[in-house]
This record gives sequence, structure tokens and C-alpha cells, in this order.
Amino acid sequence: MDDTIRNLIFQAIDQTISADDFEVLQDAIERREDVRAEYLRAINLCESIGEIATESAGDLHGDLHGGPPQRNAAPASVLDDATQWTWQRLAIAAAVLALVGGVAYWFGQSNDADAPQWVDVNQDLLEEPEEALIAGHATLRSAVDLRWSNDSLAFREGDVLPNGVLQFDEGIAEIDFFCGATLIVEGPATLDVESDWSVRVVKGRLRASVPPAARGFIVKAADSEIIDLGTEFAVEVGDDEARVEVIDGEVKLRGGRHDGDHLVTGEREWLKGSQSRPDAFKGLSTLSDVQRRREDAQIQQFEGWKTYSQQLRTDDRLIAYYPIAESDAERVIPNRASSGPELDGILVGPVTRADGRFGAASTALEFDRPGSRVRTRIDGAFDAFTFACWVRIDSLEHRYNSLFMGDGYENGEPHWQLHEDGRLMFSVMVDDTPGAGLGPAEDSRLHRIYFTEPIWDVSKSGKWLHLAAVYDPVARQVNQFVNGEPISSEPITDQFHVKTLRIGTAEIGNWGQPLRNSPWFAVRNLNGAIDELAIFNAALSREEIQTLYEQGKPLGY
Amino acid sequence: MDPHAKPDFETPAGREARYGEFVSLLARHDQSIRRFVRSLLPSNQGVDDVMQETALECWKKYESFTPDNAEDAVDEFIRWACVIARYKVLSWQRDSSRDRLVFRESVIERLAQDAMQNLEQRERERKAIETCLGQLDADQRRLVLSVHSPGESIAKIAEETGVKTRRLYSKVNALRKRLLDCVQGRLVEEL
Repeated sequence: MDDTIRNLIFQAIDQTISADDFEVLQDAIERREDVRAEYLRAINLCESIGEIATESAGDLHGDLHGGPPQRNAAPASVLDDATQWTWQRLAIAAAVLALVGGVAYWFGQSNDADAPQWVDVNQDLLEEPEEALIAGHATLRSAVDLRWSNDSLAFREGDVLPNGVLQFDEGIAEIDFFCGATLIVEGPATLDVESDWSVRVVKGRLRASVPPAARGFIVKAADSEIIDLGTEFAVEVGDDEARVEVIDGEVKLRGGRHDGDHLVTGEREWLKGSQSRPDAFKGLSTLSDVQRRREDAQIQQFEGWKTYSQQLRTDDRLIAYYPIAESDAERVIPNRASSGPELDGILVGPVTRADGRFGAASTALEFDRPGSRVRTRIDGAFDAFTFACWVRIDSLEHRYNSLFMGDGYENGEPHWQLHEDGRLMFSVMVDDTPGAGLGPAEDSRLHRIYFTEPIWDVSKSGKWLHLAAVYDPVARQVNQFVNGEPISSEPITDQFHVKTLRIGTAEIGNWGQPLRNSPWFAVRNLNGAIDELAIFNAALSREEIQTLYEQGKPLGY
Repeated sequence: MDPHAKPDFETPAGREARYGEFVSLLARHDQSIRRFVRSLLPSNQGVDDVMQETALECWKKYESFTPDNAEDAVDEFIRWACVIARYKVLSWQRDSSRDRLVFRESVIERLAQDAMQNLEQRERERKAIETCLGQLDADQRRLVLSVHSPGESIAKIAEETGVKTRRLYSKVNALRKRLLDCVQGRLVEEL
């Protein structure tokens, strides 16, 4: 077996293989019996090593200089004690015998402890932190005119909802539980999110839609549990009364005065209080109502921003202004500042058009492939910088992920990007003479990167954010903002003070041309989208950044 | 009544007896079936899902599982379950074929064919692997195991020894190759 194929096999097993090599390997597996045999042997080897490693994990450290791993010492070892093992499993199985689904669940899960940690290899290679986890049970899919109560946590559209109480005074929230159930809740409402599969309604009206995958979803109201057996039902809970009505399908009640009852389509029951208002469910919002209201509200929001944007473009401090959301983004994104079409951005490579932050009516540009970029050329010297953009980040897949990057990163030129760990980075080149820098490399150049704390993690994937960076040579401060809020402010020390700022040729969403005479380029494209970018020859104040955010924010923010 | 007759599905008691029998077969062979499934998927991702679906489907179809005699029942059960598992892998593949690193259907078919021929070898191979691992010296063994050990990692060893991660990783692969050759040698010897 030649070494190249063997390496490909291990790379595939470790999931570090490139797409092209994976094709090569697949072809070889398909055509050659010996490759198939080797692949199967390699899988077996790695899986067995995984089992042995897991079983002997406890001994490994003490065992470093001893004999082979003491597998026999592990009591749960599958092969050594098959009888005991089987009976243990059967005992567990007996507990879940009632449902066939039960045993399938147990069966599928039972080997978790043995599952080798393949992902570690990738992490080792990339020196990345551990697998990301998000805590939460549901997502706030849409929020129409939602006003959160004063003492409640406030969430935005797309936010993951953790355990605990949600309370809002008005508006409609559409909440997707991870099990697949959707609630449309009308304010005023108080809910207690308990798990992926259950929620308590303290107060409010809601409609629950439960697809087959989420059958068994529980809504608790008063002292009863409403267990969904399929499709749709409505619940209303007030101070003195609580009731449920099945819109379509069937629910089962547990606890309370109707313990054990089943209700089917059209049936309703009072869980608490008297039957005083027979028509209480009339007018309860449906999914399409929410969508329609949402679309209307979104269009209004979009129109509001357009009006503001018209006014913004007359600001003579603007160096360039790209309100991408309103454009058709054919091959050019127009500069709407008074500096005019000279500074238009040109779409290069596989930039794709996507929905902007105001939904399908608006436009954004996606830079998710390495060659994607928008190029521009902004000549002149400036006294200060403010960069402000609306961005949707899907993932931070590269070490550095570009927002706006000066090509050569020469004296006075800016770099605005995100580190893979979620920190924002803003910097201006101080002295581009090779060797002037403080870095270990001989030809390092002098600059200083102003980092924020991490502002992004995978829970924010796909959500629109307003980012701003201000370089103020007069006040000697670098200020950075997320959604209008200041998140970092650092002084510019003498050593890194730059008075004359420049941009020159530059790119939005990528950094394609760092070294003009080389075919190599760093992969720094943004895996996400941008739908507005403004660059000012001024240091905008906190209030001004706040206004940019407030006037430009999409629905549900 | 014939004591070897299978309980049927007609009576609740018969159904329960069949179920008990099914669970016991499944419990005894899930490792072999799991290994088969794992061979057809490029990573561990999806293995649990496919296993669950396979278990459910096996139970649904268990009525049709009628081995010729009790001695063959064990082997036949693995084969029978693996045929079902193969279908479940293919449907998983269709759902995730747009993901990165998922084998195309024709590759899965060929691998399944070959893997079916070696279902009984797993235990022998495992013993051979343990013997071969025992022939490595402690540091080498730790390195090979580190890729799969909770709480261990190549990065950690890299830090301790000052050797670059990438170099360690290629050492791991060299050791894996050595193990493959060693295991292969032992299995041939046994025949």
C-alpha cells in the first residue's frame, strides 16, 4: 500500500483531509479493493485505539513507563466480561421496555463513553479551543413590536433563550423550541422556559404548533400539564383563570382538575376559574398573522432607515458611504457620500447578493468564499477615522476575518477585522519600514492593534450587528462600539500616534492584495455579510454612534 | 409444544418474549453493528443517529427475522442488522450529502460489501491491536492513544516535549502505519 493513500486515509479518518484529496480517496476506494481493505483496517484500528484509550484513560498517566495499558482492569470492558455487560445493558433496557423508541434511544446513546474523540485531532492541529457549547432551549425567531418588561431580561430576534422567565408587556413573540415546537405568544405575557420540551405559562395567550418530531411537548398552565399529542392548541392564562383549546389534533391533560383527559380538535377546557368567557380565543394570532405583521413592520423600518440614510449622506464629514441595503448590488456598490462615483466599490470574485438586515426587500453582500471582495480606492489624507458598518457574521472561520482592510497596510492605513476568538481588532500602520516593528520577525513593521473583549461567539451566528471603530488622533483615543454601546476605549500612546491617516486601495470583506507582487494571499474573507458601511473623516462621539445604530437597526432590536 | 419454537407476535406474552430476545441480541451485537456503520461514515458524526434508526427498523422488521437454526441465529442477526444499517447509512448520506466529507453512494455501497465479509473479525483484530500496541514503547503508545484519550491531546504532549504539533501528528500516523502492518501480520499468522 503506498504511503500517499495511507496518509489520505488517516486524514479522512481525522477529518483533516482537503475536499480535493477526499475526492481522490473516494475514487481509489471505489476502484481498488486493496484500498478498501486498508481503509476498513484503518478505521478498525483507530476505533479500537479509541476504545482502548477511553478504557485506560484513568491509568494512562500512571502507566507511562509501565507495561501495556491495563485494559483488563476496566470492569466495564466489553470483551472481557460479556455476560455481565449484557446483563447490565439488559437491566437498563428493561427500564425503558415500555416504548420501542426507548430502547432505540438507549441503543443509540449507549456508546457515548466509548466514542473516540476524533475532533481533538482537528483542535490540536488548529490549536483551537474546545468545542463550542451554547446554553439554551429555544430561539426567539421573530419579535413584532415587542416591549420587554422593565425587570425582565430583553432578547433580540435570533437570540438563544436560556432557562428562566421571559416577560413582555406588549407585542408578539414567535419562539422556536429546540425540540421543534413553536409558540406564538401575545403580550402581556410571562413565560418560564424550563427545557427544550417544556414551558410554563404564568400569564398570557399563546398558540403552540407542535410538529410530529416535537410530539410530547409540554405547556404547563395553572396546576395542569398540557401534553401535545400532535399539531396545534391555544392556551390562555390570566390571574384567576386558565384554559386550553385544541385547534387541531389532540392533547392530554395531566394533573389538576382534568387529570388524564384527552381533548381533540375544537374541544376546550378550563384548567382554573369559571367558564365566563367562551370566545376568549377569537383573534389569537396565527403564524401567518405574525409573518404579515412582521413584514409590514420590517418594510416600515426599512423605509425609516432610507429616510435617515438620505439625511446621513449629506454629512460632509463622510469620506465614503455605502448603503448597500438599498442598492441592487449588480457589480458596483455606489458611494453615496458627496465624494461620488469615483469611490464606488467594485465587486470582485464570487461575492453574492443576500438578504439585508431589513429582510428580502433589502440587499447585503456575502463574502463567504475566499476570492470574494469589494474593492475601492480612497485617496487623500485624513485627520481622524470613524468606521461604522452593519454586519452579519456566520462564523469566524479564519484566524483573521476582514471588515475593511487597506491593501498594503502602509503608513496611516487602517485594518479593521475580527480575530477568530471573537475580538474586534482595529489598527493603523505607524511605520511600515521593515524592521521598525516590535515583533520577533526581522522585517516586522510598527503598528498597534486595539483589541476589544470578544464580542462574537457562535450564539450570534447569523445575527446583524452594528460595529464601529473610532480613531481619534486629537483626543488620542481609540473607541470601539457594538450596537451603539461602547465596548472598548484605549489611549493612543506617543509611540503609536499617527496624525495623517490614509486609505488608498482597500477592500471590504476581505484582504486580497497585501503583497502586490505575489500570487499568495492570506485567507481573510468574512464568512458573513455586510449591508452598510460608512467611513468618516472625523471621530464621531458616542452619541453619534448611538444614533447611527438607533436609526439603522432592523426589526426586533 | 415444541420448546424451540419462537414465541409469536400474536399474544402480549409472546410479543414481550420476542422483545426480550430482540433486546438481548441487539445488546450483544451493537458494537459489531456500530463498527460496521462507522466504516461507512467518514466520521463519528451521524453514527448515533444511524444506530438509533437501525435499532428501530430492526425491531419493526424483527418478525421477518427467521434464522434457520439457533446456532446460526447470532451470526445471522449481525448480517441481517447490517443490511438494514446499510440502508440507514445511505439515507443519512442523502440527507447530508451536501456536507463536507461525506462518502458518495457508490463508495458506501462498495465499502459495505467488503465490510460485510469481515464482521466476525472484530474481536480477533482487537486482540491483535492490543498485542501490537504492547510492542510500542511507552512514549509511542501514549502518543498514539493521546489522539483519542479524554484529557490527553497532541497539543499537550507538544507543550511538554517542545515538539511541534504537526511533527507529532505525522509521528502518530507513522505509528498507526506500523500498527496496521503489525496487526495485519498477526492476523495472517493466525490463519
